[in-house]
Order: sequence, then structure tokens, then C-alpha cells
Amino acid sequence: MVEPPDYVVAEEGEPAEPSASARRLRLLIQIAAAGGTMTPTANPNAKSGYDYRALDAAPDLKFLAGRDYLDERFFDRVTICPRCSSHHLNLREVCPGCGSAHLTDEVLLHHFRCGYAGRTSEFVAAAGAEGGLACPKCGRPLNYVGTEYDRLGKAFVCLDCGTCFEDPPVEAVCLACATRSPAADLLSVDIFAYALSSLGMAAIARGRLLEESTESLFIADQRIYRPTVIVELLEQEARRLKHFRIAFSVLLVEPESQGESAEAETMPQLLAPFRDRLRDIDLIGQLAPSIFVIVLPQMAQREAELLRRQLLAGAGRPPPLAITAIEIATPQDLQQVLAYRRRQAGAP
Amino acid sequence: MNGFLHYMLSAIDPSSVIGMFRTLPELLTSAYIPFWLIFVFPVARFFLPDVACWIAYQLKPSLIRPPLPPARRRAEPLVSVVIAGRNESASIGAAIRSTLLCGYGNLEIVFADDGSDDDSVAVARRVAESLTHCSRRPSDKVRIFTSQRRNGKASALNVGIRMARGEFIVILDADSEIQYGAIQHWLVPFADPRVGAVAANLRVRNARASLVTRFQECEYALQVTMTRLAESLVGLLTIVPGAGGMFRADIIRRLGGFDPGLGDDTDMTLKLRKQGRRVGFSVDAVVWTDVPVTWKRLVSQRTRWERNMVKIRISKHRDLFLLGRYGLANAIITVDLLIVRILLPWVSAIGIAVVIWHGPLSAPQVLTAFYWGYLTWLSIKWLIARDIARTPQPGHFWLLPAFPFYKLGLRAVTMAAVFRELLRIGVRHPYVPAHIWSENPQW
Repeated sequence: MVEPPDYVVAEEGEPAEPSASARRLRLLIQIAAAGGTMTPTANPNAKSGYDYRALDAAPDLKFLAGRDYLDERFFDRVTICPRCSSHHLNLREVCPGCGSAHLTDEVLLHHFRCGYAGRTSEFVAAAGAEGGLACPKCGRPLNYVGTEYDRLGKAFVCLDCGTCFEDPPVEAVCLACATRSPAADLLSVDIFAYALSSLGMAAIARGRLLEESTESLFIADQRIYRPTVIVELLEQEARRLKHFRIAFSVLLVEPESQGESAEAETMPQLLAPFRDRLRDIDLIGQLAPSIFVIVLPQMAQREAELLRRQLLAGAGRPPPLAITAIEIATPQDLQQVLAYRRRQAGAP
Repeated sequence: MNGFLHYMLSAIDPSSVIGMFRTLPELLTSAYIPFWLIFVFPVARFFLPDVACWIAYQLKPSLIRPPLPPARRRAEPLVSVVIAGRNESASIGAAIRSTLLCGYGNLEIVFADDGSDDDSVAVARRVAESLTHCSRRPSDKVRIFTSQRRNGKASALNVGIRMARGEFIVILDADSEIQYGAIQHWLVPFADPRVGAVAANLRVRNARASLVTRFQECEYALQVTMTRLAESLVGLLTIVPGAGGMFRADIIRRLGGFDPGLGDDTDMTLKLRKQGRRVGFSVDAVVWTDVPVTWKRLVSQRTRWERNMVKIRISKHRDLFLLGRYGLANAIITVDLLIVRILLPWVSAIGIAVVIWHGPLSAPQVLTAFYWGYLTWLSIKWLIARDIARTPQPGHFWLLPAFPFYKLGLRAVTMAAVFRELLRIGVRHPYVPAHIWSENPQW
């Protein structure tokens, strides 16, 4: 049953601002209408330099991604002002003494005979009208590089205060609020692209976001834990393993042919008969769009393998599923499973 | 054994000592030249300055150890600490750390690396970053300049001086550390605008490393510290050590920095004196430095120092002898150098040789009296140094009876060095790279 969006109608008859959940649902619908993805576009007028089709939707996108209505993928990284968060920054090298950006770089020369070290311009000035180079300290002309003098390297010189230095610090001036910040103090924010998830599509079909606690735990109408929930439960098992040294096993369940989205969508139905063979304490969850996991607490590899065979035998011939039994005996084992999940989900 | 004890103790037989003191007034009023040469002049030159310092310290402590001005009136000018070094990865971290944490806020460090083969620069950067990460501008406290080619210490120092932007420049050795609070005391003598440089009070960091370093700790306290204190009070100090010295930046730049070659610290001090600048010393500006741990390294170091002394003070700055050119004080220091560092060692060596030639057992009081007299003098110096400078550490008092022999050995080394330098034997020293040496005038 699709419920109407819960707009609040103002007394004058004009539609007022929609509630947060209605606004977010509308955003999901817009993403679905645009092909299922929301990719940021560069916009110099936007505060972070990117916006989402001119929608001021970044907080809602974040919210929806945090609840698995959207899948979040890294798109770019933007440097912003630590004070006003603007991306309009002017980065330049400055003098460590007076902070001026009025710098030049010069080669430093070293006169072997008297040991004087200074900028090339000083040696040129000491030579005067005769041209060439002469030492400002002892006045001798410098003719032969390598035997009379040498180039020590490049140095920056501040044309305002005369300070000489090798590694100028980089400083940013915010063109929006005029704050000057060392480069190390600047903030970096990640910009993401968003794609509609199965949960998001279910919410659109239902006409509302899933507000009930059971709905926020399980994926559409199944007792299958959502990705964020099952990962948290897996990590809880890993903590138990660390404290009590009680190993557990997992079964990774995937469609037989990878990339078949139709099969991935039918996976919840394929998993439903498995419940008869599982214990009450076993958990089923979705790790990635086409990877499901069955968590088997206090079960060793041998029993897990036996269960895997039984499940495959009951799934039909040929089985439409591929099942892998993995024993989690160390926290590293779990990390490998989660890394596999990230790879399959295409996360960065 | 009994014979040896009798030989050693005969000079301090109470009747002999009482007899000596009874004859002192008579000898002092006489014109007996040997007595004046071997007793009165040495006592006046080497003993009275220490006693005078101690009496002054009792009567007016602020003369010897000037107090800091009140905090509200104390200016904190920018001080640039310039450290030059080559292959100093083992010690550069401690030098930078001690400087950044020495309790003086307005300072910067310039580390000029002289073409190191090791990871000195990486160590310096790591320490600097770890200690300045909270700073708004991490790179303005510690700046590092690297050179691809080794050019010698003086040239590296000149690069550091060129990079420094402070009103005062501290020259610090890479194997040294600044004591907490030292920079505030170091700045006090600069209240006198005539002062161009102030020497730090060097103390031995690795005093417990070996017997050699223990002796050197006593030597630094009894002779280096006390002598520099006395000389600075009468305006005759001739060295601002390379391990720790503070200079007015404008003056050191006007002089074009250090000249390449050996003995750069003495050379710079004499150039300052020629400019009419005063050279100060601060007991409380303590810099801890490493000294040679083995006899071989000590001999090498003292040979180099002594040869540099001849090279710089007698040859390069021989115009200081001219009475009218640079004033009386500068003529005095050069004449004093000739007598104390060149003439006296030979006279005393010949004296000892003559006594031994005529048979040391025939007149036992001569050598043993010198020994006991020297030991008494050292003990008094020890008490004075402990009272004024809180050094050397009390545990090293047991070394004093052996100290005359340590000095006698070093005297032989330095005499040989002076002899070789005067005859220009083996003047080339690996401290200075070949391409710099070939271009330098050989003094």
C-alpha cells in the first residue's frame, strides 16, 4: 500500500516545505528518474565546488546513504577553508618570516677563498659595471666555477623582508572569508556519487521510507539483515572471538553467474528455504548487492562445510547459488571477508 | 715503598713548609730573579685571577653571575641558532630538541648540513616535525639547508648565517645541547652595546664515558670556565668557542661570516676584537658538549687546536702585536699568548729536564714541592669553581692527584704541535676539503 507523501498544507492553501522524510523520498524518486545514479557536477558557485544537479541535497544524500537507500562511491576530494568551508582558496608559498608571498628564487653561490655564501645578485652587484661576478666579502672576481666558487643550490628570498630560506611554507588565503591558513591546517572533504540501492527502490515502490525498527534492520520484507547491520553483527562476533577465543563460521552465498542482477534480486527468495536447516542463533544478512552471508556462531569449519553441502543439495539441480564456507578463527579472517565484500561492491 | 713515600712527602714536611712561609717575606722583598720567575709571576698570572673572581663573587655576586632582568622588562629578540654539521645523525636530534625546548620562545634553528653521507637531514627533519607539529607554521622554527658537496664547517656556518633572520645568532655544534634557560642568560651581557659576542659556559656532556672525559670535565671547569670568566671581566677574552657562542647578527654579517679553514672560532673572535667590540662570557649560559672519549682522539683534537692557535693568532692576526693599531688590550693578549703558550712550556720543560739531569733524588724537594704546590692550587681552584660555576661534579675530586700528570702529558702534545706548526710540518688537515684548502691563503 503506497501512502501519500506527508506534505503539510499551509492555511493559505500553498504547499509548505515537505517533511524531511517526504523530501528524501522525493530525492530518491528524482535519482530513480535520472537513471538510478546521482553524480556530482563541478560548480564554482557551490561551496564545496561540486553540487548535485543544482540541488542542495548533500545532507539528505548522506542521510540516505547512511541508511542503505543509496550506495556511496568516492568521486573526488576537495580542499576547503577550515573557517568557512569554502573551496575558493588561493594557495601560494610564503615567507616564513613575514608571511609575504612576494618571493623570488635565486641560486646561492659560495666563494671558496673567503667562505662567503650569498645570493647571485649580491655577487653581480659586487662586480659592478665591470660585469661578471665578484665576491662581496673580499672583492675578488669569480671566474671559474668549481675551482673558485660553486653553486650551493637554490634558495627563496623574500623581497619584502630579505629573509632567505630553502623550503617555503605553503599557505592558503580563503577568497571568501580572507582567512590565512597553513596548508597543513586545511580541511579535505570527500565528494561522493550515489546510486540507488535495492532498499531505495523498495522505498520508492512503497512510497515511504522505512521507519519501523524492523524495517531499518532487515531488507525489504525479509528477515535478512541489511549490510550495515550484518557487518556490525559480524564485528561483534569478531570481538567475541577475540575475548573468548570462540571461532565461528560464515557461508558466503552468491548467484551462480556473477553480474546477473535479475538473479541477485531473487536471492532473498532463494535464501528463504535455508531457514529450515539453520539454527535459531544463525543470522542471514546482505553483505553487498549480490553477496549474502550466513553467520554460524560457534560452528567449526567441518560442520560448516557439511551444512554448505546440505544447503546446496536442497537448492535444486543445478544449484542457482554458489556457497563458500569459511571459518573465522582470527580477526584477520573476517577482515579478508570484508575486503572481498568491498571489492565485489566496487567500493574504494 | 718507604723510600718513595719519603721522597713524595719530604716537600710537605711541616718543618719545610713552615720554613718556606718564614722565608716568603724575605724572598718577596729581594730581587732574587729565579724566585720571581718560578713563583711570583705564575701565582700572579694563574692563581690570583681565580681568587679575585671568587672574592668578587662573595662581595658582589651579580658581577660574576648577572641576574636576569625582571620578566616584564625583558625583551625577547629573535635568536637564530645556527648548527652546521656533517654526518651528525647520532647527535643532531638532541641538539635540535634541546634548543627547541630551552625555554626561550622567540628562536629559530637553521641547520646547515655540510654534504652528509648519512641521514642527518632526515633525522633533523623528523625531530623538528615532531616538536613543532602544534605550531601554526611548522617550518618557521626549524629550517634546514642541505649542500650536495662538502665545503667545510665554516662555509656551512656561513650558509646558516645567511639564512638566519634573528637579531642574535648562536653558533652551536651539532654534538652539543643548550641547557634550559641558557639563552636568557646569554643575552644579558648584550645589554652593553659594545659587546659583539658572548661565549657560552661549556660543560662536558659525556663526562662519565671514560677516564679521559672525566679528566676533561675537570679541565673544562678548572681552566676553561674559570679562565674565560676572569679574562672576560678584564676584557681580555680571546675566544668565543665554536661549540657555543652568541653573536650580534649585523656584526657577523658585516664581517662576511667565518673564513674557511681551521680555527674559525678564534679567527672570528679576533676579528670582532679588531672592530673594537667587547667579548663577554656568561657562566649561566650553559652548553653541554661531547669531548673526545679516547686518548688518541684527545691528542688529535689538542694538536689541531694548538696548531690553529699558532696559525690564527700568531700568523694571521700578527698585526695585533702593533700597540697603536688595535689598542693595549689586544697587544696584551698577544704578548700573553707568546709567554704563556709558547715560552713558558719550553722554560718549564727545560727546568724539569735540568732537575732530572742533576738527579731527582739529590734535591727531592724541587719536583715534589712543585707537585704539592700545584695540587694545593688545584684544590683551591676546585673549591672556587664549585662555588661559582657548580662544576666539576664532586665525584671527580679523586682525580686531582693525577691531574698534574694529565696536564703534563697534554703539554708535551701541544708543545710538539706548536713546534710542527712553526716549522710548517704537515700543515694540511683533512678537516678542510681539498678544493677549499687549495684556494685558501695558508697562514
